[in-house]
Amino acid sequence: MTIIKTAWRKISNLLPGLIIPVVIITLWSLFSENTLLPAPKLVIDILSHPSADLLSCGSLFWNTGVSLVRVLLGLFIAILLGTPFGFLMGASERYRRYTNLITELARPLSPIALLPLSIIIFKDTSFTEVLGLNHLKYSRHLFNELQIGMVFILAWGGVFPVILETMHGVRGVRKVYIEAARVLGASKLFIFKNVLLPASLPDIFAGYRMAVGRCWMVIIAAEMLPGTNSGIGYLLRYSYQLSRLDIMLACIFIIALIGLVFSRGLEFIGEKWLLLRARER
Amino acid sequence: MFLELSDVQKSYLDSSGSKFQVLGPIDLKVETGEFICLLGPTGCGKTTLLRILSGLEKSDRGEIGRGAGRFGYVFQQGALFPWMNVESNVMFPLKAIGMHGSECRVKAERILKMVGLYEFRKSFPHELSGGMQQRTALARGLVTEPELLLLDEPFASLDARTGINLQEMLRNLCGRLSTTVIFVTHNIEEAVYLADRIIVMGHRPGRIVRNESLDLKWPRDRLSNEFTEVLLSFRRTFEELVDPSTSSSS
Repeated sequence: MTIIKTAWRKISNLLPGLIIPVVIITLWSLFSENTLLPAPKLVIDILSHPSADLLSCGSLFWNTGVSLVRVLLGLFIAILLGTPFGFLMGASERYRRYTNLITELARPLSPIALLPLSIIIFKDTSFTEVLGLNHLKYSRHLFNELQIGMVFILAWGGVFPVILETMHGVRGVRKVYIEAARVLGASKLFIFKNVLLPASLPDIFAGYRMAVGRCWMVIIAAEMLPGTNSGIGYLLRYSYQLSRLDIMLACIFIIALIGLVFSRGLEFIGEKWLLLRARER
Repeated sequence: MFLELSDVQKSYLDSSGSKFQVLGPIDLKVETGEFICLLGPTGCGKTTLLRILSGLEKSDRGEIGRGAGRFGYVFQQGALFPWMNVESNVMFPLKAIGMHGSECRVKAERILKMVGLYEFRKSFPHELSGGMQQRTALARGLVTEPELLLLDEPFASLDARTGINLQEMLRNLCGRLSTTVIFVTHNIEEAVYLADRIIVMGHRPGRIVRNESLDLKWPRDRLSNEFTEVLLSFRRTFEELVDPSTSSSS
């Protein structure tokens, strides 16, 4: 009985949020006949066959996967570089003096602005060449689609939120915690591992979340520009060129959906750490 | 002799860049096992002196001779790590000096039972009352069985009743572990209740104005005449410090 009740409560909590989407879809299906918009059914058709080839560009699955792997790779590099740099900037005043100006200058620079430059520098070099897998070169393989230039601008987009949030997190660690650890006999390494790191973890994680959001926005825009012929952003632009609004809308829906999954998923993972922040109060 | 300070001085630069002497010169001797209260008004440099003793700050001049061995430190507001539960907080200093996990747990269990928090060992600091947080901080300061325990107004933020309970607990614990204690406070009654010897500090610059052993017996009764007399005498010293005109009228 109680299980049914809690299930019902959960469902009824979701219901108010569904009203606006339902209204939009209803209006859409009412007016789609007299406008350029394709009927919802056509879009749903495309979404329900995600592994069917579209416009000879590969399937929805393939293109979404390419975009996702690019983002994850860029993000991985951003986190790998940004976390230690941010930590250094947070922990050392002197180091911050050297790097503050350059990060402040580089941070507001849109990654998209760097795309032409990165195409010139990296050309269309992909992971196939980097890993020396030349036999894959003319096949449809994921490695061919992971252009170094693309990953570079994603890492660029992701690294600054990571650096800045990590720096703020480390700088925000209350001095009394560090002093307490020092007078209790802890070494510098011990303090780093057991005080500085756990105390700044919520902020570091917030930086990762921001980076994920930014990278997902950057990749869609980047794929709509020259330099690639795959990815969900590319499919979106290509379907626009061929006036296939049904495919366009399907792409837009998938982009939004993945954005949602990213932010909710990270929220879920972070809850364990974000709880720490609540504990401080 | 456990601790000997001679000619210890400390000054800071103020915002206009001129030197501002906060402490000294201070000469002080502390015997092993003594319970000393550093009593003084706010801003007299007693906390600075404690920080110098702990090594958190360096003195500009003077020498500090200290017996070998560990020391513990208890901050005004506990400074417990909010992401660790009570047990982990208490085990922190043991782990910091490289003690093994199982041994840590045994020691932590022992001290937590002494401060009456064993049932709460899995709780996090924010789940505890102010008094329980300070008891955890005491346990963390004492778990390594330090030769010297430094406390910086540890009970100042607690209500009177809780403060009194913790004073009793502290005195008992330090007696059992025969710890030398330096306890900083601005609460005269607290000092008279706890101390073997009270050192009154005056300000600008921080210096020792009165240094006196108490011959009150244990257990001390806060309502007895002897206790009240000592309390009054220190209150007089305090008043003279804050407002020197009272000394001429008395």
